[in-house]
Amino acid sequence: MAAFCIRSMLLRNLTCQNLISADPTLTARVLVCHQQVRGRRRTCKPPSWFSKRRVSVKQDITPENAKFIKEVVIETYKKPESPLKDGPWARGSWTPRTQRTGVLAIKLGIVPQWTKDGKKFKTTLLQVLDNHVINYTPPEEFSKSMGWKPFWGSKYGSVVVGALSCEPHLFSKSYNNLFAKAGVPPKRKLTRFLVTPDAAIQPGTPLNVMHFRVGDYVDCSAKTIGHGFQGVVKRWGMKGGPASHGCTKAHRRMGSMGGGGAKASVWKGKRMPGHMGMDWRIVKGLKIWRIDTKYNVLYVTGYSVPGPTHCYVRVYDTILRHRREDLEENGNPPPMPTFYPEDIEEPIPEEYLDEELFNFSSESISYVTEK
Amino acid sequence: MNMFRFPVRNTPRKLKKSFGVGSGPAERIKKLQMLVTALIRNERLEAKESYCLETRGYAEQLIQIAIRNGDRHAETMEKADYWLLEKDLVHKLFKVLVPRYQNYTTAFTDYHFLPKKVPGSGVQMGILELKGNPWPPVVPRQRNQKYLLTNVLISTAKEEYRMEKKISPDLKNGTHDKLNQLDNT
Amino acid sequence: MAAPCRKVNYQFVKRSLRCFEPRVIPCRWSNTLRNQIVEKHRHSPLSSTRELVKQQDDPSDVLVPREFRFVHPDFLPYPIWNRRDRVREKLEREDMLKRRAVLDIPEFYVGSIMAVSIADKNAPGKQNRFVGICIDRAGHGLNHYFVLRNAIDGQGVEIKYDMYNPLLQKIEVLKMEKRLDPQLYYLRDAPLEYSTFRLDMEPVPISKGAHVPLNAIKVKLNPRPWSRRWERSNLKGVEPLDDYITEKMKKQKQHPQIQKTWEMHDLMLKARSSIDDREVDQIMNEVYKRKEKIQKEKLQKRGQEGKREGKKAQEVRR
Repeated sequence: MAAFCIRSMLLRNLTCQNLISADPTLTARVLVCHQQVRGRRRTCKPPSWFSKRRVSVKQDITPENAKFIKEVVIETYKKPESPLKDGPWARGSWTPRTQRTGVLAIKLGIVPQWTKDGKKFKTTLLQVLDNHVINYTPPEEFSKSMGWKPFWGSKYGSVVVGALSCEPHLFSKSYNNLFAKAGVPPKRKLTRFLVTPDAAIQPGTPLNVMHFRVGDYVDCSAKTIGHGFQGVVKRWGMKGGPASHGCTKAHRRMGSMGGGGAKASVWKGKRMPGHMGMDWRIVKGLKIWRIDTKYNVLYVTGYSVPGPTHCYVRVYDTILRHRREDLEENGNPPPMPTFYPEDIEEPIPEEYLDEELFNFSSESISYVTEK
Repeated sequence: MNMFRFPVRNTPRKLKKSFGVGSGPAERIKKLQMLVTALIRNERLEAKESYCLETRGYAEQLIQIAIRNGDRHAETMEKADYWLLEKDLVHKLFKVLVPRYQNYTTAFTDYHFLPKKVPGSGVQMGILELKGNPWPPVVPRQRNQKYLLTNVLISTAKEEYRMEKKISPDLKNGTHDKLNQLDNT
Repeated sequence: MAAPCRKVNYQFVKRSLRCFEPRVIPCRWSNTLRNQIVEKHRHSPLSSTRELVKQQDDPSDVLVPREFRFVHPDFLPYPIWNRRDRVREKLEREDMLKRRAVLDIPEFYVGSIMAVSIADKNAPGKQNRFVGICIDRAGHGLNHYFVLRNAIDGQGVEIKYDMYNPLLQKIEVLKMEKRLDPQLYYLRDAPLEYSTFRLDMEPVPISKGAHVPLNAIKVKLNPRPWSRRWERSNLKGVEPLDDYITEKMKKQKQHPQIQKTWEMHDLMLKARSSIDDREVDQIMNEVYKRKEKIQKEKLQKRGQEGKREGKKAQEVRR
């Protein structure tokens, strides 16, 4: 029985009938019905702003013309009208209560690594491809744009981050207009992060792997692998029935669905067969062991990042309090609001490794102490 | 990442029939043998979508190994003998199809959807054909695309764009050559 | 009887014409990207993090020996292609080659007798050396492992080693040979003589260009019970098992569900479970070039060290 999860609702696509303001990115997700909803929330109906059909270029247009269109698109975005013409925004300073923007990565897969003690562990690779900040909304404006009063009041603003640039003729005009402020080609995927006002970030800022450092802890949020309609044994881990000894057609069934007595009915949220997977799940407190700046890849602890290979993963600084306090203690705040190239004087190295991570270029680990 | 030149599913289709003759993995292969034979014979196959798309993989693989190994390779001959139920088609495979597809970089087959018959069972039918077949094309080919209004407008826009570039001081790499060879439109 | 004339439903006509349109999936709706799309975005000129195609150092394609791919099966990628990723595999390969520059991993096959030294906190001398016959070799990339088997004090012992484990100090091949089977797990059901090798065994020299010798030994298994149904495994390196099995087992073995004769010529099954030859060639090419580079660097280093030692010796003599 999932609780009324507000943060996750911001990610879901709900139909929006009452537009409160003209700016589409502001009107995040407006609830038509304010009744508490339990359980998993899944919609098959896409939102009103979603462009359902892609216009296929190949049909009528000659190859030379198609090439020309691509050329024009590339030329347009090569020298974008820099939104930074107004001057860069002031950079805030980090506190343990600051929430910076996150990043929209792609899960590449799982690779083993070793620590300097010789212990093997699995790491998930997350690639940060072509991310830009599309929009920033300050807290007051953001809290008013939602159809309900958020419990966090005016604490958080919102940052819309987009990943994977595409050609504009693939989308509708209204969708393309979202990117005018940022001066960036329209993105394949958008996501929103709740952000404190001291981490306000200018639209058009590119985000890459350097937003994080080795040794930082992150939370990864993604949709789990979809298993479709599944039975009770796979979905809830029930034991089913005996394989033999006269068991009649009940090897993988639920059996009883409850007791009798005063209730005399099935409890709400009773575990039953149904749709399994394609749920947003957050895995918290994953350490970044390694950063590859050439391919923009993060190596993150474990194999529990939800989703299959090549799924979108939202990666952001962990909310775990003690990890944040450790950062403050060590006097090692993360770059605010994000990493800019002028922060580092020397050329950026191809990879960063954690102190405890074994570097394959170094000698084999040996416990023999030389006299 | 896969080296197939056409979309391939993660798992094979079972082509299932619940019980009796025609059911099970052995019968599935028999069905596919018949379909592959029919495709190689007639070069065009009209069947259920699932049958066509399963056959596609097998037919392409067969032609691929025939091209790679030739007709002196014992294993390839065995496979051709197994999949082609009519033995004159083995000759056709090696003597007609292999030279035809020798230098192809694309898939050797094409798949087209057919409209669903209404009223009907709701099954999706399709046409699977070998490329370079002698039959009239399934999809009518649009000729003289460049005289369509869209193309005329885009071509004019292209010329104007190039002209503007010529006048403007900053020339991009490569466009200079393109200006000299304006397309005949 | 003629079919009655019906007013044509416009929706139907629209739908039927749609069959000639290319099928499109809403690109913004899907949660997962296909491999082609990810690659397209990695190389797209619109991308701010564009991956540039690396210029090849040597334009000429080096002729990689055919045996190379069998000597380096760890570099072959995972066969399930919808779970593969080019960048992940590339990064894994980089790590593997870095490790190979430090640790010399020799050529070996299942059936070779090997000695492996591994760093062990609890062992005397902080190192543990184990000698055994390689009974299995599997895994992709950094997960590649091999299993050594030996009989110590009348007890069969198998140890699984991760090839890229940084604790490995040394891998020696004492006797290089191949066997008739790809895995030798049946030695568990064979007399211990077949799995016993002296821990102080001397290495058997083999000339550089020679073919790997094939040990065509036929192991005589113990009577049943066995740990696996060996009669169904089509083992070649084992004496005929008909004397050990009952009539019922012989009959069961012939059952079509066990034999699976339909899989023999299943072209798509083979295509789905294996990597295309062209791709294997590309990968082996890359690995071969890198290995040559590593070899050169090692020789240079040794040359320099030799010179240094020579100089030191000269100084000492003086």
